[in-house]
Amino acid sequence: MPLKKLVISRIQFFRGRTVSRACLMFKGKTGRLTCFMGWMAWLLMMLTPGCNKNPGEPAAALPTPYTITIPRYFPGNLDIPADNPMTVEGVTLGRYLFYDGRLSGRTQPDSLMCCATCHVQAHSFECGIGDPRFPDGHPYGLTGIYTAHFMMPMINLVWTNHGYLWNGLVAPENPLAGVKTLEDLAWIVITSPSEIHGDTAKVAALFQTIPGYPALFKKAFGSDHVTVRNMGRALAQFIRTLISGDSRFDRFLRGEYQLTNAERSGYVLFMTEQGGDCFHCHGGDGNPLFTTNLYYNNGKDSVFSDPGDRRSVTDNPLDLGAYKAPTLRNLAFRAPYMHDGRFKTLDEVLAFYNAQLVWSPSISPLMHHIGTHGVHLTPPQLSDLKAFLLSLTDSSFVSNPAFSKPSSFPDGSK
Amino acid sequence: MKNLCCLAVFLAMFAGCEKKPDTVYHGYGKLQIAFHHAAEGNPLQFDTMIYHSAAMYNYKVADLQYIISGVTLYRNGGEFVLPGTGGGIHYVDARIPSTRLWVTDQSIAPGTFDSLSFTFGLNAAENLSNRFPDPPLRDMAWPDILGGGYHYMKMNLVYGNSSGTVIEPFMFHLGIGQLYSSSLPNPDSITGYVQNFFRVTLLKRFIIAGSRINTINCTMQVDHWFDGPESFNFDDYPGGIMQSQPGMQKACANGRKAFSGTISN
Ligand code: HEC
Ligand code: HEC
Repeated sequence: MPLKKLVISRIQFFRGRTVSRACLMFKGKTGRLTCFMGWMAWLLMMLTPGCNKNPGEPAAALPTPYTITIPRYFPGNLDIPADNPMTVEGVTLGRYLFYDGRLSGRTQPDSLMCCATCHVQAHSFECGIGDPRFPDGHPYGLTGIYTAHFMMPMINLVWTNHGYLWNGLVAPENPLAGVKTLEDLAWIVITSPSEIHGDTAKVAALFQTIPGYPALFKKAFGSDHVTVRNMGRALAQFIRTLISGDSRFDRFLRGEYQLTNAERSGYVLFMTEQGGDCFHCHGGDGNPLFTTNLYYNNGKDSVFSDPGDRRSVTDNPLDLGAYKAPTLRNLAFRAPYMHDGRFKTLDEVLAFYNAQLVWSPSISPLMHHIGTHGVHLTPPQLSDLKAFLLSLTDSSFVSNPAFSKPSSFPDGSK
Repeated sequence: MKNLCCLAVFLAMFAGCEKKPDTVYHGYGKLQIAFHHAAEGNPLQFDTMIYHSAAMYNYKVADLQYIISGVTLYRNGGEFVLPGTGGGIHYVDARIPSTRLWVTDQSIAPGTFDSLSFTFGLNAAENLSNRFPDPPLRDMAWPDILGGGYHYMKMNLVYGNSSGTVIEPFMFHLGIGQLYSSSLPNPDSITGYVQNFFRVTLLKRFIIAGSRINTINCTMQVDHWFDGPESFNFDDYPGGIMQSQPGMQKACANGRKAFSGTISN
């Protein structure tokens, strides 16, 4: 089946068609117009010599719009802010930064850290179990402080529409400036004690001195002045390209693959209320992201001690112990599971949903099997459900060279 | 300077296209529908265990999301279907104020109408899988194996019996029903599907006034879903009714009586 293509050519770009497409996430015409005008204003700024930092310099060449291919059945509305349109140059720069350990602001081999230190492609951008640095899958930052939670994957984040992180702290609704969009993760990670624990000014100053980088910033954002803000924009652009839509199940949806009997039976269990009843929170039919991106207490505990759950963001007691339901794509590469990594294997996760649920006042009403502590599938049914979950494995995603570490950095180092 | 002028022209050009609230009526009436939710005679209060069903359960409402479509005004035997936004399909999340007001674009010749009705949910022709890839409608998707399309309604409840020994969630979800050849709702034994959408006549004999916005107030009495004419017994179902056609049928029989309307103009 043909993939729905979002073709961005320069000509269309000027006609505004594609631009308004990228602006579709904005509710209503006014929002879209504002978005469109943002694009135009941004474009003009790029084109206007007077707006550049160094007046004498020639205007930067226009960056090339980046084409996002939307897999079939995926949402059409993309989460791309008006002031950070996708460009080939931005994505290229973002990929370098994602993998460049000097993002720590330091250059000694033992004090390097970047996004890829923890977000590893082979694990769908989690750190996985068994990494020599983080053997149990719980990452810690440069100064040895453990992150508050275990990893989240980076899969299809261009369709995140209810905030980032396990608790959704980074969201447009957050009243704090700088804690709203994917772009903001850069300064957050650089300063967070459990991640880089560094200094944004120092990081920007270091990249200003690395040969090759200033020119890339100029190409992407019209100025060779390196800022953490533009680092965040580039990183966000790269992360928005990390799209997974070619698992066996996707091919089944496109009519290119026949599910095995076990996968099919697991699929039915996944999608039925009196079966496993997973779809109300994790999507499935009609929602190939395999997440609603919403927050639920899925019945793991009756006593809650994590100060970073959803309630910490909403202040609503009914969000006690609630976390984002993550996508179920590529689970095969993503152990350990849950925000606290409590389950080391998928079998443990399934055993939990099958018979270990515990009630608490804030449990999601969608966990309607709570009265019997679980969905109580038979062992063969559990193994079918697992087979279905594994049909969401997209190996092309974890081996896609476009997402991998560049062979060398702009200054020629590796 | 030249560039600045360009920018100004650009901005002016697009500001000009921006939709203004339409104040020019040319004598026509405009229509908006405001959705209200009540229980036991008062505005619905979420998350509080204060309601009692006819079958003697205490319950509280945690979520209430539903779709209405095909709003139609009838006059002199003719009918006028409201296309409105989204092809005449409106999604209400009772917790989200912006979804509780549907401002339609229609200009309607003023006068007296015989009735106004809508479809609760989506009719068979409208209820197609993968039609709405974006939230919030996306998250209403109904499993294909259970008939596909979209939930007409998701009402999530927590109920307790009168002795307080049972406190359990109940997923009062409506959509396409299934017929099973087995006694248990085993998806392998599905022999057919049942359309459960229904039409609601909200208003009879009403006037649309010209040169102004007419507001239709549509109120859902939430408790009516569990009370007359059929008494709905939560314990008869395993925490939900998506796979119980008798349950959904009973619910829909009650639901037909759950809506009431007024118009202010
Ligand atoms: C020390 C390990 C570590 C490093 C380094 C790191 N992350 Fe993360 N990242 C995490 C953990 C752990 C989470 C889950 C945190 C949470 O929600 O509490 C996470 C979550 C995220 C998420 C949220 C994903 C979602 O679905 O909401 C994004 C986006 C992200 N990181 C981006 C980045 C970027 C960009 C960088 C580099 C600038 C980076 N991370 C560096 C550990 C790391
Ligand atoms: C009420 C909503 C809800 C339902 C129903 C539900 N889940 Fe979840 N699921 C969640 C939430 C929320 C999390 C994350 C919880 C956490 O990290 O503490 C989660 C986490 C998971 C994870 C771990 C993912 C990761 O990255 O760590 C798996 C696997 C999973 N669920 C599978 C299932 C399966 C299979 C079913 C059906 C048997 C199911 N879920 C039903 C809400 C739900």
